[in-house]
Amino acid sequence: MSEEQDEKLENIFVSLVKRSWQYHEESLRNRRLDDLLVGAVIASNVRRGYSLIDLNSDGRNHFLRFEDLATQKRLVFQLRNLSEDLVTAKTLGQRAEVTIGYGEQVANFGKVWEAFKAEVKGVLADQGEPGAVRFDADMVAGYVYAQILLILDLEPYLGKGYQVNYKLLEHHLGAVTHSLAKYLHGRIGK
Amino acid sequence: MSFLAKFTHKREMRESKDEIMVGEVVMLMAKKGCPAVGFRANMGRQIVTFKPQNDPLLHEVEITLDRKTGDGAIQQALLGNKAVISVQAAVKNYIADPDDLLNMYRTDMQNVLKIPLLGQVKLNHQMTTVYGTRKVIIEIDDYLPEKGQRTDKLEKLLDGVLTELKEKLAKFKK
Repeated sequence: MSEEQDEKLENIFVSLVKRSWQYHEESLRNRRLDDLLVGAVIASNVRRGYSLIDLNSDGRNHFLRFEDLATQKRLVFQLRNLSEDLVTAKTLGQRAEVTIGYGEQVANFGKVWEAFKAEVKGVLADQGEPGAVRFDADMVAGYVYAQILLILDLEPYLGKGYQVNYKLLEHHLGAVTHSLAKYLHGRIGK
Repeated sequence: MSFLAKFTHKREMRESKDEIMVGEVVMLMAKKGCPAVGFRANMGRQIVTFKPQNDPLLHEVEITLDRKTGDGAIQQALLGNKAVISVQAAVKNYIADPDDLLNMYRTDMQNVLKIPLLGQVKLNHQMTTVYGTRKVIIEIDDYLPEKGQRTDKLEKLLDGVLTELKEKLAKFKK
């Protein structure tokens, strides 16, 4: 075999190995999308001055809780990847169901929560549709939350490979938090 | 059911120190261009995997936070909040030939008895990957933000360990 032929065959071999790694990385990246999103939300909120105080998962949903240690304001997140398999992700894009809550500790918690009770009943009829601002309470810690369900296209935040657009994510999380805080303040009379 | 019920109720911020530390590490690694791509927790240990972007050497980094003391208020008062941070950096070579594997086996034999707790870097080989691990014992409180104010201590610690690991691993990258 000539040297030229030998080199040609070796190049084919190398390109096949290279492509195999690309396919492997592509499928690995899709399996890691949940955690990539969790990490992006953590980094964005910590950059915004919140500290992560709780992180857990039931396998499908990921739950995050943050606190601004100076003001004790809290944020809660429930994240669910809607495009877990590669085929769905490629055809529909990468989408996630994200519930975001903004909470504050209320001094006269009992009284305030009594006033909210009628709305809590409304939660029971919740059909998992986006856009409805709901109120909820952490009875033990004395926090009242305004929360909303959103369905997000992840591609603007999580680009190709593992690139994360933290600035955009921070900006959008800031906008949601700002609106939720306004709803909450409107209800608790701040 | 409200998803707020999914959060464990922690009566004191002491119980959240591991998570606060994990959050700070995730943010600092993101700043270095290493987004978090994996979260695991077992037996009180928090393990986060990071994927360096645009780094010609490192393929992945795994950081483990293992709290050793400070679970209870009395223990915290007596011993503080001691933890071991373990940083494992990986270099990957995309084709492993038999000669490489033989060399890796030799390095592994040299490292079998090495305990990385004493400031050493322990090396370990897999088929296409070489891992370097460095462990550091820390007092968690020294590295956490106080009243919302951060110091650069944690960033300096991570920078130092990652630089050391890169120096040790550079010769294995092809």
